[in-house]
Formats: sequence, C-alpha cells, structure tokens
Amino acid sequence: MEAIKNAFDFSDFPRIDLVIAGTLGLLLLVFPAFPHSSFTMATMIQFLMFSVYGMGWNTIGGYGGQVDLGKAQYVGIGAYTTAVMLIRWDIPFWFSMPVGMGLSVLWSFIIGYPLFRLKGHYFAIATIATSLVLKDIFEVWGFVGAARGLGISPIKYSPPDFLRLIFKEDVYYFYVILFFFFVGLFYLNWFRKSRLGFQLRCIKDNEDVARSLGINVHWAKIKTYAIATAFVSVVGSFHACYIKNIEPEDTMSLDISILIALMAMLGGAGSLWGPIIGAGILIPLKSYLKEWLGAAAGLVGIDLVLYAVIIMVISAFEPRGIWGIVEKTRRRKRR
Amino acid sequence: MDIVNFAHGEFLMLGMYTGLLTAQLTGVDPLFTLPVAAVVGFLLGVVCYSGFVKFLLRGPIVAQLLGTFGLMLFLRNLSLLIFGSEDRALHHGILVGKSFDMGLGIIIPATKLAAAILSVLSFVGVWLLMNRTKVGKALTATALNGQGARYMGIPTERMNTLAWGIGGATVTIAGALIVNFWSVNPFVGLLFTMIAFAVVALGGFGSVPGAFFAGLVVGLIMEIPGLWDFLTYMTDAEWMGQFPMTSLKYMWIYVAYFVIMVVRPRGLFGWKQ
Repeated sequence: MEAIKNAFDFSDFPRIDLVIAGTLGLLLLVFPAFPHSSFTMATMIQFLMFSVYGMGWNTIGGYGGQVDLGKAQYVGIGAYTTAVMLIRWDIPFWFSMPVGMGLSVLWSFIIGYPLFRLKGHYFAIATIATSLVLKDIFEVWGFVGAARGLGISPIKYSPPDFLRLIFKEDVYYFYVILFFFFVGLFYLNWFRKSRLGFQLRCIKDNEDVARSLGINVHWAKIKTYAIATAFVSVVGSFHACYIKNIEPEDTMSLDISILIALMAMLGGAGSLWGPIIGAGILIPLKSYLKEWLGAAAGLVGIDLVLYAVIIMVISAFEPRGIWGIVEKTRRRKRR
Repeated sequence: MDIVNFAHGEFLMLGMYTGLLTAQLTGVDPLFTLPVAAVVGFLLGVVCYSGFVKFLLRGPIVAQLLGTFGLMLFLRNLSLLIFGSEDRALHHGILVGKSFDMGLGIIIPATKLAAAILSVLSFVGVWLLMNRTKVGKALTATALNGQGARYMGIPTERMNTLAWGIGGATVTIAGALIVNFWSVNPFVGLLFTMIAFAVVALGGFGSVPGAFFAGLVVGLIMEIPGLWDFLTYMTDAEWMGQFPMTSLKYMWIYVAYFVIMVVRPRGLFGWKQ
C-alpha cells in the first residue's frame, strides 16, 4: 500500500509543474477525439513508445549515471519473443510480453554481471558491443527469420483482437501504449523515491562513498539495469505487434540504442519528466524533418544532418538537457 | 585524453573518399594520395577539436559520448548528401589488381602488401613522435594528467588540438590505404570504429606499441571464419559446414572487445586503470 501511495504522490514538485503535466496527460487521453491525420497518430505512438524507452534508460543512465548504449538488444529480445510466440504457437501478446520481459531480464543479468565491472566510456562501448553481437546472431539465426526478420500477417486474425494486439485502427494501439506510458510514469515516480533510487543517486555522485556507506554497488547497478531492461522489453513486444514486421536492422541497430539514450539526455537525464520532454521534442522533429526535407526535397540525409547538429549543440552547451535549463532559471529566480 | 571518439570510423571514411577522389580527379596513382589525405585528416581533427570537442570535455560522460556520436551522424550524413550512397571503388592504379605469388598457394595482393608496409612506416613515425620528441612527451603528459601538465608549463589546449590532428591524420592515411582494396560508401565507418575500439582496448589505452600488436591480433581474429572454413574442409565435418561462420565475421571483434575489457581492462600494454 505504501508503495502505491508513493507512486501517486507527486507533492515534491512545484504546483505549476503538476498543473502542466496534468493538462498534458488529459490532452493525451482525449487526443484521438480531435481531428488528426494518420501520420500524426503514428508520430504520437512513436512519441509514447520512445518516452517509455527513455524512462527505462533513465533509471540506469539518468539516476544511476551509467551510460548504457546497448538498449536496442532488449527491444529486439522483446519484439522477437512476442513475434515468434505469436507466429509459431499462436500465443497472445499478454502472455508473451511477460515471457519476453523475463528473457530480457535474464539476459541482462548474464551480461550485466561482467559489464558492471567496467566504468564510464568502457562500459558504454561494451554495451554497444554486446548489442551488436546479439544483432549479428539474430541476423543469421534461421529460427527467427535471419536477416529478413519476421512478419506477423494480420489477415489470419480478426481485428480488433485485444488478446493478440492486432488492430486495424491505430487508436487502439495508441491507448495500449498510453496505458504502458502511465504505468511507467507512476512506477518511475515510485522508483525515484525508493531505497534503490536513493542508492543509485548516491552511486552516481560518488561511488566510493556509496560503497563506504554499505551499499552493494555492483548489485544495485545490476538490479537497476534489469528494471531498465524490463521497460524496454515491454515496448519491444508492443513494437512487434504494432509494426508487425521486425528485422534485426530495425529493432536492434545502434541507432535505436542511441536514440533511446538521446531522448532521456535531451530532456534531462535523472529527472522524472526528462525522457518525456526529450521524446516529445525529438520524435515529432525527426518524423516531420524526414517528411519535409528528406522525402519532399529529395535530399537524402539532410534531416539526419540537422538532427546531428541538434545533438551536438545540446551535448556541448547544455549537457543537463532541457530540464536542466528549467531548473537553472528557477534557481536564479528564487535568488 | 579520456574521450571516446565515435566519429573515428567516419574520419577513416572521409580519408577513403579523399584518397579516391584525389586519385580520380588528378589522375595521380592512389598510393601517392597519402599526403593529401594526411593534410585533410589533420585539418579535420583540428577543426573538430577546436570547434566542438573542446566544449564537450567540460560536460559529463553522457554528453561526451552522445556528442561524438552526433559528430559521427553529422559526418556520415553530410557525406551521404555530398557523395551519394552508392559503393565506389578504385579500378586503376599501379598496384590495383596485381599480386605476388609466394609459392605454396600463398598469394599476396600487392595493394595489401603496400598497405601493410606503409602502415608499419606510419606506426614507426607515430612511435618516434611519441617517444623521441619533446612534443610526444608533452602529449603523453597531457593525456595522463592534464592539470599537472598545465602546471609544468605545457600548453595543454594546444597539445589536445595536436593530438586530435595526429589522430585524424593517421586515420585518414589508413583510409587512403584501405581504399586501394575496399570499396567505400558513407556507412563503412561504424565497423572500423568498433575495430579501432577493440584494437585499442586490447593494446591498452594510450599505448602505441600496444595498438600495433593488438592490431595484428585483431586482424587474426577477423580471419577466424577463414580458419573455420579451412578446418571444415580438412575434417569434412558436416555440422561445421552448416554453421554460418562467414556471416558472423565481425561479431568476433565485438566479442573480443567485450572479453578483453572484462578480463583485462588494462589491455596488454596499457597504463591506465
């Protein structure tokens, strides 16, 4: 009970934040009632997916300060588990999602144990390496369709199929991912005030002090890594049902890992709202830039050039992200 | 310097394009484009450092990693915009397509041999620079302890710029060598970045001879699929033939990186913990 009360307790934020967040949350709930194009809807779903990815990354990367650039492997594990189980054995999403989560967490424990002996840059590159190894294996593994990947054919089922998550209209997908979004948000709100959350922030600030306080640093990191993994894996499973066609290149490439980290960092790593702000800015920017510049003007790559410039400017001049700017101005006002 | 440069492979890619385009536009043999590539690489490194990386160094690790990743995306897509996405390769040149038959079925392509010799030469050059000159000592000192070096009167900012320039120059030279036998497109970078990380991790961070020997080891690791094919052929084992080893060629580099980092984070010759 205490935990549930804690999860819904936002009282340590200023009231203005809560009003804004509540209004935006309500707007998200009623968004499908407004007139919108299918492109806008797809962008909104992408935004929610990446918010949840970012929230997952935020636990280990934001609160824990361990830069993890290998999250895409868990997207892959989640997506492939759901797709394989649905195609081969007709097991619905709501059963395969926890299985995928379990597999991801298991894998995260296996590689997390050696990984967390490393620090800083070396840890980050090692996570990339594990992610790429897994991607290479999936690209040659015949059971999961090798490099061509798997396709869920929607014809076999009669949409709307709430068990297998096969829908014709995007609205259903929107509400499913919105549900995960709110679950993730409340979980994270509990997490940041939990024992593990405090331990992690201590580790981020000074690992030696954390150890001297009796925190089992290695184990705390591994646990948090598993939590982050679970978040990512759930959305990975959702991705399989939503996109219906998954390949290693789509789901497990390095770009996805970086994008996940970028969401959280742009918004402000280590804050509750950071990943949501980051995804809310980056995802629409990305898809509309691609739509206007890449496709319309026929200039391949220019959208990503602009995108890269934004990344570079943010990381060079405001590494604490947009939330960092907000907090800085607030502190200045108070003075 | 303690910063990981994800754009390293992109520097190499630009070196490959420099070599290729100089050879094609001026008609010079590809082997003699190396000075051009070195100059371009040096300027690239200096510009990247003083225009961008300098600001990154003030921030936390997350910002550094994502910043150089942004640089990588920027260079990659800029070259996609300029050069287009198709594969390009050299078709002319003194050495292209020639090879030495060493007997016993050993055939060495002349381009690769030239690349090997010139790589050794540039290794010797960098090693001499790092170990036999005052500048090299200053560079090492800056990398080991920036603040201490500044107290000793070393212009650390200039040394960092120089380090990036040298790094850029060596990697573009490598690119101009590789383009003799490897076709180039804007996406080749990441593979080479990972190879470079594996080499440096194995050799030890900050060690030039370490990088040299580790380069040999990683080269051998990359030939595991060839050895596998040979063993399959020799033993005639069916299960070995079915295993898709050649598709997993580059996976061994990532595995090697992971294992080295976990087992011996210091590398073979490294001085840094």
